[in-house]
Amino acid sequence: MASEERGRGRLLHNMPGLLQASLNPWLVRVRNNPERLAFVLHRVTGVIILAYLVAHIFVTSATVDEALWESVMGALSGPLSRVGEWIVAGAVIFHGLNGIRLILVEFLGLGVGRPERPKPPYVPPSLRSGQRKGLYLVFALSLAGWALAGVIMFAG
Amino acid sequence: MRASTLQLLQYLSAMALVVLLGFHIIERVPGLSPLTPESYEESLSYEVVRRAYKEYWWVLALLLAAALFHGLNGLRGILLEWRPAAHRVINLVFVAAFIALLAYGLRTIALHLAG
Amino acid sequence: MAEKEWGRLPEPPREVVLRVKRYDPERGRTWWQEYRVPTYRGMTVLDALLWVKENADPSLSMRYSCRMGVCGSCGVVVNGVPRLACQTQIAAVASRENPVVTVEPLHNHPVVRDLVTDFTAFFEKHRRIIPHIVRRDMREVEEAEYEFLMTPDEHLSIYQYSLCIMCGLCYSACPVAASDPEYLGPQALAQAYRFIVDVRDEGYDRRIAIVDTEHGCHRCHFAATCSAVCPKDVDPAAAIQRLRRIVFLRRLGLWRKRKVAPLAGPLEKPLRRIRAEYPRHNLVEGADPERQAREPVDIDFREEWLRE
Ligand code: FES
Repeated sequence: MASEERGRGRLLHNMPGLLQASLNPWLVRVRNNPERLAFVLHRVTGVIILAYLVAHIFVTSATVDEALWESVMGALSGPLSRVGEWIVAGAVIFHGLNGIRLILVEFLGLGVGRPERPKPPYVPPSLRSGQRKGLYLVFALSLAGWALAGVIMFAG
Repeated sequence: MRASTLQLLQYLSAMALVVLLGFHIIERVPGLSPLTPESYEESLSYEVVRRAYKEYWWVLALLLAAALFHGLNGLRGILLEWRPAAHRVINLVFVAAFIALLAYGLRTIALHLAG
Repeated sequence: MAEKEWGRLPEPPREVVLRVKRYDPERGRTWWQEYRVPTYRGMTVLDALLWVKENADPSLSMRYSCRMGVCGSCGVVVNGVPRLACQTQIAAVASRENPVVTVEPLHNHPVVRDLVTDFTAFFEKHRRIIPHIVRRDMREVEEAEYEFLMTPDEHLSIYQYSLCIMCGLCYSACPVAASDPEYLGPQALAQAYRFIVDVRDEGYDRRIAIVDTEHGCHRCHFAATCSAVCPKDVDPAAAIQRLRRIVFLRRLGLWRKRKVAPLAGPLEKPLRRIRAEYPRHNLVEGADPERQAREPVDIDFREEWLRE
């Protein structure tokens, strides 16, 4: 019995795990896959926004009293919280724009091309159809929006 | 609840958030905001914030519910991937956190409307 | 998978260093081992692994069968990308400046030994989505007398997905499968879509119920790495998104199967026998094809062998 178990041996569990999968966009070093980067960013920005939302619910509960609100605002007006706010703004912009793309793709099944007869060099339709162009647009608009948010927040 | 029902709500809340959060952010931008603050700094003054609660409380309430559902359900998905075996605990924590945070947020709005 | 150097690969370096991730199940030990392998033009990673097995280290284990990208048993992770070892040219993954080729077992599948991975769970997931034609009256399939009618367009809508060779590369690349062992995975979900939209199939409601769970199609986040690594251009990412659309619409009561293919039925006119001439221009001298057709020679191979 023991020898049989030795002979069979154990299986090695070979899964990178949640943190690797959701933080490292280059876990699989394949080219032509910015969707993976978008997935990682979407998840990371989502968690950032959720953390901000929970904090926001507690911070805004201070608005019921003028003195308390002024003191809370005073405590949160440092440059560090400004930068933090700016990061959250960037997260919201990316998450929102990419979210619109994901609704179109995942909910309505749009922008992934139609099935075809494969021809070399096998680039599948979903990696060269509308959603890909949308993704580049999302990246560009997010960067522009983030810069604009910086202008409003730091100069305004 | 069927998984597709929750996922549908996830997308519906996302679409609502685009509108509601857009409004919520515009409230802070001088020149665009319906609350007419003088500057970005001004938009957070007690006066303006109080008016935001009094005049647009329903936007805040809807925004709170949609954002909490969308965020917590997203987190629930991540946690389900992390520990699929613990799905009962994860779903329970999701419901409890949603109700607790929603109640706390609504309390703030109610206090403003009352006082 | 898209190969940038398609059709114009450079000469591979004279010699490559094969870094193989090995696993010994008896001792539960994992380690990296390096082999120097002389190359030739056209050598694949599988050829290199076989060279090692024949000349350097017979204890190296891997799995392969067809050596031509058809059976899907040779999937390994080459330089961080899941690929078919038999379809990956050494010249495409190594250069004179960087002659190191790392080979690991596929991720997300349990490793049996060295590069051999256990596909039991993967095949089980494929089986779970009922990967065959389902009819209300299953006798139409099981005691099939006639085929189902299908137009070329209807065939094209599933053809791409039916090319799946179950090599497990998509599952190995998926970020969800990387942490959730219960996730059905791109392969099974793409096949579920392929059968749901197949005009010959009527089992869509059963499949939608299987796919519409917390570890089914809603765990997909469209990272699309599955499509990027697929060696057969099956495009699971697109299939899953269209599958979700169907699942949602079905949930809202807005989707129904447009058409279910009928049985072909007996032919209107019976088939006619036509006389064909045997070709006569290249016959062996003295051979008479007509006589051979009339009196076929039965060769008893066993007797032949015994005589030898
Ligand atoms: S050996 Fe059959 S696919 Fe590579």
